[in-house]
Amino acid sequence: MNKQHISGAEAVMKGLLAEGVDVIFGYPGGAIMPIYDALYDYKDKLRHILVRHEQGASHAAEGYARLTGRPGVCFATSGPGATNLVTGIADAMMDSVPLVCITGQVAANVLGTDAFQEADVIGITTPITKWNYQVTRAAEIPEALAKAFAIANSGRPGPVLVDITKNAQFELFDYEEIAKEKKYQPKPLPKIDETLIKQAAELLNSAKKPYMLIGHGVLIAKAEQEVKELAEKADIPVGSTLHGLSAMETDHPNYVGMLGMHGNYGPNKLTNQADVILAVGMRFDDRVTGRVKDYAPNAKIIHIEIDAAELHKIKKAAVPINADAKAALQKLLPLIKKNHHKTWLEAFQACQQQEHETVMKKELYPTQGEITMAEVVRRVSEKTKNNAVIVADVGQHQMISARYSKFAKSDSFITSGGSGTMGFALPAAIGAKVARPDREIVAIIGDGCFQMTIQELGTIAQEKLPIKIIILNNNFLGMVRQWQQLFFDKRYSFVELKNPDFVQVAKGFYVPGEKVAKREELDHALDTLFKTDGPYLLDITVAKEDNVFPMVPTGASAEEIRLE
Amino acid sequence: MKYTLTIITENKPGVLYRIADIFLRRKINIESLTVAELPTISNPDQIETNAIGASSTSRFTVVLTSNEDAIDKVVKQLRKIIEVIEVYASTDDQILYNEIALLRVQCKNKNEAKKLAEKILQYKGRVMYNTAQEYVFEINGTEDDIQKIVKDFQQFSIQDIALSGRTAIKKEIS
Repeated sequence: MNKQHISGAEAVMKGLLAEGVDVIFGYPGGAIMPIYDALYDYKDKLRHILVRHEQGASHAAEGYARLTGRPGVCFATSGPGATNLVTGIADAMMDSVPLVCITGQVAANVLGTDAFQEADVIGITTPITKWNYQVTRAAEIPEALAKAFAIANSGRPGPVLVDITKNAQFELFDYEEIAKEKKYQPKPLPKIDETLIKQAAELLNSAKKPYMLIGHGVLIAKAEQEVKELAEKADIPVGSTLHGLSAMETDHPNYVGMLGMHGNYGPNKLTNQADVILAVGMRFDDRVTGRVKDYAPNAKIIHIEIDAAELHKIKKAAVPINADAKAALQKLLPLIKKNHHKTWLEAFQACQQQEHETVMKKELYPTQGEITMAEVVRRVSEKTKNNAVIVADVGQHQMISARYSKFAKSDSFITSGGSGTMGFALPAAIGAKVARPDREIVAIIGDGCFQMTIQELGTIAQEKLPIKIIILNNNFLGMVRQWQQLFFDKRYSFVELKNPDFVQVAKGFYVPGEKVAKREELDHALDTLFKTDGPYLLDITVAKEDNVFPMVPTGASAEEIRLE
Repeated sequence: MKYTLTIITENKPGVLYRIADIFLRRKINIESLTVAELPTISNPDQIETNAIGASSTSRFTVVLTSNEDAIDKVVKQLRKIIEVIEVYASTDDQILYNEIALLRVQCKNKNEAKKLAEKILQYKGRVMYNTAQEYVFEINGTEDDIQKIVKDFQQFSIQDIALSGRTAIKKEIS
């Protein structure tokens, strides 16, 4: 390798290129100016997307990472720039999304003096990153970046942060690209225990009511095919967590629906009847389990999970397999016998029928009254032939999007799950569209959520991103209002919103759109949305006080799921 | 139940903070935490290579009260930290452990000073410094030993006590 005498800032550029980075979401500021100056000479190789708030940069990086499987990269300056990233970093930590965040920092010689725009970013982000590091000398940069990328995307992915002091950015040093052998190697996973695989196969082959639960890990490991093969071979019903949605095609005969608090009726109600549960790339989150001690108390659990700390964390696994989902399923498949569980699957179908009659019919096919969120979501699926990427924000509309969207292929549903960060969807859709311009990206956002990151409309207009934005507008913080109705005696404490004219606001950002208030207008508006050659926004008025059912209220067991 | 966590890590800034946060987050009460950089040793027939470690490692010893289930989870979380090389939890019967205390004790007169010096000898203490009126000495033992010894010195005028916290090593290599 030939040495070059370059600045730390330029070393950042070279380091990013060495990791295959092609997009950065960021916002400049004083302490990161040398890096931005170096970026100016690299703008043909590294596309920088200027957001309107650093939170937007972090969520955009998340959306990008979710669709590419590679770390999303974001830049922010010191002090408030860095602290504005915190929400997105915490979100990525909860949802296992790989991010590499690079923040500018004050010069090393003034660290700890409360200098202008100084913040203890390392201190603040330690609990919400897999790893973080403060660079104070230029020579540290190549290794720090290589390590950052390796950590972000190995094992259970997650966010990392590299904080670079301004002097390190300016400093000149002899740069040498790190030799492959010298690069940081993350701790390898232990070899898959063949005995455990055998035990798992035996349990599944002899199970009377086997049940497979799939989560985010299936998408991360790209194990969709293995899941499908196993489900078909052993004829097992498959339920998905929020983050596992679209790993299995919605219309697949073995796919029975979504788990959890607002999931489908059968997947929750029948959990406790299962005698063997195969949990793949999911962590038994409390939204899924409800009251843990009453969750699958009779089932033997086979838990395939890449993060050893998740094994036995919530549910004790009879067969804990610490492995990548794809690798483990590939070992398991040959040992699985061809089987049939017709009666067991029919139980799920019966629940599906019941749910359809009691809940879904009136939500999907209302004949009068205001537009329901469900009918919008279902029409979106129909118009996009189940091929769009739905980016949902947080709240009632999120649950409705999860329940009523149909997915024909994988990587089609992105949302903030573990953190439930309002304002996620608009910037995440930016990242998603930049990652996969070939896919139709539809952001479905509540009126409350939309106002949290509304300024990213500016980014969308500037970058000319043809994102389809649908606001499901009930003038309420819907999910909170639902809980206040059900559990707080309808005391609507500060949940009613006086909203702006979203179409006018969007127009002000040079994003066209229209308002939809009547059912008769919906179809044509959706057609306009999808036919428009560029971003478009629909402000759809939906019923003010609709509730999301079914529901497993807090403290209840999944079995106690309420249809109404 | 009392547990002693042994954590071997790379000696890098921020590791202490990350480790402490694992306990802070779960509201685990730490009785003692000691950490020190380990000397570099190359010993061809050493058994516990990792525990002694390559250049610039640190060894943390953390004493806390918990239950088996909670400790198991804490160990797994600690293991996720990038700089952590090795971590394990031990109960008192699985380890040999000790603590050092430094005491500054004053005495009013020659008689007291004599008694004080004898007592220090009795407890196999080591005088680090003394004048006619004041002794600074070191004693060692288990936490309980030290408690008892300090109580016995209360007949004099204890000015200051510094405790090192427990350090521990496994009884046998399993």
